[in-house]
Amino acid sequence: MTTTPDDLVLNVKELYLNFYTYEGTVRALDGVNMFLRRGDTMGVVGETGCGKSVTAKSILRLVEAPGKIESGEILLYDKDQETGQIQEIDIAKLQQEEMLGIRGNKISIVFQDPATYPNPVFRVGDQISEVIELHQDLSLDVLNMKIAKLELSLSASTTSENRAEIEEKINYYKQQLDNPPKPDKKSKREAAKLKAIEMLKLVRMPAPEQVANQYPHELSGGMRQRALIAASLACNPSILICDEATTALDVTVQAQVLMLLNQLKKEIGSSIIVITHDMGVVAETCNWVNVMYAGVTVESCATLELFEKPIHPYTAGLLTAVPKLHEDRDRLPQIRGTVPNLITPPSGCRFHPRCDYATKICKEKKPLLEEQKPGHWVACHNPLNS
Amino acid sequence: MKLRDFVLRRIILAIPVVFGVLTITWFLSYIVGDPITMYITERTPDAAIPGIRAAHGLDESPVVQYFIYLSNLFQGNWGVSTSTGADAPVLELLAMKFPATIELAIVAMIFAIVLGIPLGIISATKKDKVQDHITRIFALSGVSMPIFWFGLMLKYLFFFQFSQWGLPYLPGGDRYNIRRFSYEPTTGFLLVDSLVFEHNVYMFTDALVHLIMPGFCLGYITLAIITRMMRSSMLEVIKEDYITLARSKGLTERVVIYKHALRNALIPTVTVIGLAFGGLITGAVLTETIFNWPGLGRWAVRAILNADMAAINGFTLLVAFIFVIANFIVDMIYGVLDPRIRYG
Repeated sequence: MTTTPDDLVLNVKELYLNFYTYEGTVRALDGVNMFLRRGDTMGVVGETGCGKSVTAKSILRLVEAPGKIESGEILLYDKDQETGQIQEIDIAKLQQEEMLGIRGNKISIVFQDPATYPNPVFRVGDQISEVIELHQDLSLDVLNMKIAKLELSLSASTTSENRAEIEEKINYYKQQLDNPPKPDKKSKREAAKLKAIEMLKLVRMPAPEQVANQYPHELSGGMRQRALIAASLACNPSILICDEATTALDVTVQAQVLMLLNQLKKEIGSSIIVITHDMGVVAETCNWVNVMYAGVTVESCATLELFEKPIHPYTAGLLTAVPKLHEDRDRLPQIRGTVPNLITPPSGCRFHPRCDYATKICKEKKPLLEEQKPGHWVACHNPLNS
Repeated sequence: MKLRDFVLRRIILAIPVVFGVLTITWFLSYIVGDPITMYITERTPDAAIPGIRAAHGLDESPVVQYFIYLSNLFQGNWGVSTSTGADAPVLELLAMKFPATIELAIVAMIFAIVLGIPLGIISATKKDKVQDHITRIFALSGVSMPIFWFGLMLKYLFFFQFSQWGLPYLPGGDRYNIRRFSYEPTTGFLLVDSLVFEHNVYMFTDALVHLIMPGFCLGYITLAIITRMMRSSMLEVIKEDYITLARSKGLTERVVIYKHALRNALIPTVTVIGLAFGGLITGAVLTETIFNWPGLGRWAVRAILNADMAAINGFTLLVAFIFVIANFIVDMIYGVLDPRIRYG
């Protein structure tokens, strides 16, 4: 896949990842390729166990032992904030300590289940301000907070002596605005908390000040997911990964969250990776889609094109299995067979045992992801519609 | 519900527990033997026995006797203990012996918590590595060694052998050096008395040094249990989704473990700590015997051997109180650790 790196934020090239279990080596990722353009919302679809979540976790290097990245590149194009220069970072080769500055800051993730992902023993606001405190320089915010506080007490106080004293203090702080001093821990924490409330407002949380002081179990599923989204957007990440972020929510809340994500993308300027097995979610939110099968990217193109003219037989099978309103059928068509065991994956193309179009070469040779049409990459020996 | 209501409700709920304990122990002690034996000797003339029986109310029916016992209890008359030489009121004896035991138990608990929790965390985070194996051996020896043997071995090494080798050695028994200090109990807690009332720092450090060996000996089993408990609950918590989330925020491993995981993993461990504290009070018998500690355990065993019913009842009641209080404190700590339990 070649695209000019200028408009790219992430480029995953030929990623291989194994899990070393007692039963044997699970070849979970077997050549994953995907790229994310700045401002895009990219969908990753596939069956359960096809490696969507593992891909997401390896982008953040959160895959734990016995999982190990074998080879491949995960290139992050990070825009330097001061110089505006774009530097290329290969996440796959970073040390765990170097990842700390990227996680939650440049790339963040929203997970599937809002019931189990927030820490039950910490206040919602604290869980958001924690990220802000960790990654952001809050000196200016602290100063502004102090000035705002003094101005408030200025309007409240009556004696002229008091007023003069407070005004003097305000002026003193205002002089520092150009070169704010490093704040102490306590006021930094306070400023982070204020910012957390701002974030809760951003995700349209009702009564954000109150919610910030509540614990996760006091909120509904949709509110919790909003809080998690607020935490992951708190540091204006260049990439937001939504790992089945709406799967555990009911349909109306799901629609709200999807709409929210689309709006926030414009406000914050992040690019989004949406991981899902729901074709509807893809159609609604994404402008680019990657289809994965058994740890391999099999098709990658614009959403509209995928729904209209799928090239890979697997994608075509997936799309015919989506129920349609105007059709009257007793039985939905399905892809025959089941997901292969990744300890002993099929030879050649991993899809060939289930494929209606398979020929001899499919069994012997693994197809490469190639640009079959402009802007449409497919890994198949016998592509459809061509 | 407000915190005050919660506390109030817990206290009200504790009453039937304590009441049940004292009822059961009293009836049990009533069945095991005739309490008249405590008040007579082989030289008491037979004719005098009915008189003595009536004087102590022992000729009444058991139910009446039980209510007499209850009414005495509430008036602060816990009976007379006859097994410790001179007859003395049980309440007075308890007040005298109790501080020594509780001081020992607290020191044992401090050993157990301060060592047990970090060891548990280390063996969970370094699972199946050398640190884990060493900790496991250490903890398993704690629960496997009989306390009387372990106490003797400690004494042999740190008292006898160290003094033989000319090294600074730990005292082999007693609460303080009886040759250097004379002690008049005020509260009975030696550490408090020496520092607050007598302003004697030397006596304080001396008492502290005397507490090290028996404290560790008594606390070792609890230490082992806390370590293993902490390890297993930590391993459980580390697998939770919110730990993955904490890592995805870019927090260092240290913060992830000691902030996000520890607080969740402490909840089951705190239960064990609460229950173990009551066990330390009653289980101090062996340690107190080995280290010549003038505490409750030894006194209670003597009372049991002599069928000293008033003393046994008094002791059981006190232990029940301590269990109730320990569990009450545990419940409060639960509320602090986990907001979902708060004001439960």
